[in-house]
Amino acid sequence: MEEILNSPYVFPAIATALIIAVFPLVAGYIVLAERKVLADFQVRLGPMRVGPYGFLQPLADAVKLLLKEDIIPAAADTWIFWGAPVLSTFTALTAFAVMPFSDRFYVADVNIGILFILAMSSIGILGLILGGWSSNSKYSLLGALRSAAQMVSYEVPLGFAIVTALMVAQTLSMQGIVQAQYDKGIWIAFSNYGLMLIPTALFIIAGVAETNRAPFDLPEAESEIVAGFHTEYSGFRFALYFLAEYASIFVLCGVAVTVFFGGWLRPFANVGFLEVPLNVIFPILLFLLIGGGCGVGTMRVSQAYEKGIMAVLTLAMLLVAALFAIPAVNVLIIGFFWFLFKVLILIYMFIWFRGTFPRFRYDQLMQLGWRYLIPISMGGLVVNGVVLLLTS
Amino acid sequence: MATQTTFLDTNELVLNMGPQHPSTHGVLRVILKLDGERVLGTECVIGYLHRGVEKIAENRTYQQFAPYVDRMDYVAAVSNGLGYCMAAEVLGGIEVPERAQCVRVILTELNRIASHLLWLGTHALDIGAMTPVFYCFREREEVLKIFEKYCGARLTTHSFRIGGLQYETYDNFEKDCHTFCDWLDKKVDEYEELLTTNRIWVGRTKGVGILDAEACKAYGVTGPVLRAAGVAWDLRKAQPYCGYEKYDFDIPTCQNGDTYDRYIVRMAEFRQSTRIIRQAVDSLPSGPIKGKVSKVFKPPIGEAYVSIEAPKGELGYYIVSDGSVQPYRVRVRPPSFVNLQALDEMCRGALIADVVAIIGTIDIVLGEVDR
Amino acid sequence: MKQFLKTIFLVDLLQGLWVTFRNQKPSLIYTEQYPKERPSVAERYRGAPRLNVHPDTDETLCIACNLCALACPEELIVVGAERNEETRRKELTTFTYDTSRCMFCGLCEDACPVDALELTQDFELASYTREGAVWDRQMLEEGPLPTEYKH
Ligand code: SF4
Ligand code: SF4
Repeated sequence: MEEILNSPYVFPAIATALIIAVFPLVAGYIVLAERKVLADFQVRLGPMRVGPYGFLQPLADAVKLLLKEDIIPAAADTWIFWGAPVLSTFTALTAFAVMPFSDRFYVADVNIGILFILAMSSIGILGLILGGWSSNSKYSLLGALRSAAQMVSYEVPLGFAIVTALMVAQTLSMQGIVQAQYDKGIWIAFSNYGLMLIPTALFIIAGVAETNRAPFDLPEAESEIVAGFHTEYSGFRFALYFLAEYASIFVLCGVAVTVFFGGWLRPFANVGFLEVPLNVIFPILLFLLIGGGCGVGTMRVSQAYEKGIMAVLTLAMLLVAALFAIPAVNVLIIGFFWFLFKVLILIYMFIWFRGTFPRFRYDQLMQLGWRYLIPISMGGLVVNGVVLLLTS
Repeated sequence: MATQTTFLDTNELVLNMGPQHPSTHGVLRVILKLDGERVLGTECVIGYLHRGVEKIAENRTYQQFAPYVDRMDYVAAVSNGLGYCMAAEVLGGIEVPERAQCVRVILTELNRIASHLLWLGTHALDIGAMTPVFYCFREREEVLKIFEKYCGARLTTHSFRIGGLQYETYDNFEKDCHTFCDWLDKKVDEYEELLTTNRIWVGRTKGVGILDAEACKAYGVTGPVLRAAGVAWDLRKAQPYCGYEKYDFDIPTCQNGDTYDRYIVRMAEFRQSTRIIRQAVDSLPSGPIKGKVSKVFKPPIGEAYVSIEAPKGELGYYIVSDGSVQPYRVRVRPPSFVNLQALDEMCRGALIADVVAIIGTIDIVLGEVDR
Repeated sequence: MKQFLKTIFLVDLLQGLWVTFRNQKPSLIYTEQYPKERPSVAERYRGAPRLNVHPDTDETLCIACNLCALACPEELIVVGAERNEETRRKELTTFTYDTSRCMFCGLCEDACPVDALELTQDFELASYTREGAVWDRQMLEEGPLPTEYKH
């Protein structure tokens, strides 16, 4: 027993199982959050019918998608059609392997972590292209072509932005990058006299494009090419694409947070006197607030089962708040809290962009990528490099 | 373009867009010939919503046909009703009382706003901005509420009758109109903030689907599309009806005739419409609301063509009477149908994404195209 | 220059973001949770038809003049009448109204000389069968049963 526990594979295996088991649910709730936040921007309510305030909507969606008939078009290339979404999902989930959720919770800390993520996300494109190609539908094909062109061109500025950050961090390991920011006492996004803000902004823009989110959602532009590469997909396979999309959003935001925004570090990680307010009081207050919101919700809903769910939620939130008050537990989970908190803020921004901007056109997208983002990202690289040299 | 002939040249792709497509505004079917993403040519297939409205007219009395015209351009049902009623009134030589005319102006202008709001929302949605559509529908809801309070229906209102109005205005009608106009002006500012300067929006619309004044005239295109090309042609000014000459308003025009200009023109028309509504509401005379029409409306033998400025362009009704209670023939000149003919010219050389923007900017309603 | 700075700092985009952001205020939510919340319907709303009866005697107000049926463009009203031998008056026997074909234009209501036929504020007209959409005299007089919703 002792031996098994001491083996270096046990913890990663558990973490892997946990991620694979939990992430689909998390993705479901990110979708729900997206629908709710979008609804908020658009003076609507969003899902309200399944469960209290639509809380069980992800479950309903999942059941619906799983029970749907799996239609394969007669002219489709069956094997590729089957494999493509799996490929997408696989690569997107694999990228979680090096995600530094906290200083303790991660699957692996390899010394090429960031490269691994980039590699995985590039292979993920293949899933989209194959899916679009094998459906044998013109809309799907157009969507696949668009996604291929888009992802290839936006990977370049994305890469440059990361390289710039790596110059500052001087390591490729995800944990190492966070550690470097701790040592510097400043997030990479703000280091170098604020010059790093350029690659940060570029990374976010290119990241939105990389994950096919509005305003760069051309591969699935519903008003032009219906649903793009997944036009012909239904049921579970469609769900896989969905899962892959949200997984890659999560990964991308995770990378952004790790590389530019201090990973699991709290803001002002080196300022000692902020330890208690930020690490203890802030999460407690936050969860108390959410718990309070759930409590008010409990009063408002009418049905008994809804009341039950809301009450359980309230209690859960209060419990989490209480957990943060216990110093021993706090140390364990605070990194995780900050990581998730920052990722969720970024995801919120992604949704915000989606709710606000019109979509680019294909040629404009290419122009933006090649004419502006790539030169600027190269310039950012050079300028930051020079400044780094001069100051070191 | 596909003029090059090298061994890399590939075949053109024929893409069937519609009739079930998220952004063909109903059941328009456009067959696109594509070279990659570039459009080489288009062909419209229409008729999926054909209900034979003009033929129905021949089997209905004049009064009975009035509700059917609402179902052509159902987004601007009031304008349709106005056009038809005016044509029938000209045929029967009926004087419409002042008050009725004034209320007609208010309602048609409200309807113009509702129609433009729907256009703005769906157009923005086509271009990928998903939020304006919800804001627009919220504002449109207020217009529909006024309609509902006035005549009891929201969309296919049947609010006008031959000779005038059926319903007297309700209490607070004036106040509702004023509140709405004030509110809308603020909201239009908000839309402009969201879209007018937005670089993505400008990029997507500027220089897209250009139709210059000459081409507009050649195709018979009217309405905001024509005005965006720089021709200040508005039937409300050119041949005033319904007492439009009494109101002070401008014809917004632009120069380039592209999608962006059409957007600007329609945004300006919101403001002009609220201006007209305010004036009309303030000067609402009292008096009867219906002229002298006998229960059995039997116009003398003859014909009449009346055209009005509907939100989408010139809407004309041509009625031939054989002296009976039923029209011998009714012919409608629908602006959507005529404007749609310019689609091919506007789309050539554009990208797929532009086709969607152009269909949106022409502002068609398939109920009216197909009748 | 100002224009240039504006372009660089994405002022136009931020402006748009601000518009959507400030519209998040919960008080601005416009959704109506039908059927949980019922919409308020205008007094003049043209919805489900009703054949009015005298409030005291419960006798129908309809004089079976057939004007509504003549006025209707869709010819969906059928008025059945019988001559009462004693009073020498026409009396209403049957009245059918096909709501599935009706376009709620209100012409029948306008035509009725005694305000017997009226379009009311009730707007829930769905039925499970086509026959269910054809309302007979009893249905028209009593009105449709109010719909109960579980939510
Ligand atoms: S509302 Fe119109 S269509 Fe319906 S029964 Fe009355 S007249 Fe006929
Ligand atoms: S018009 Fe009125 S009174 Fe005459 S038959 Fe119809 S409902 Fe009865």
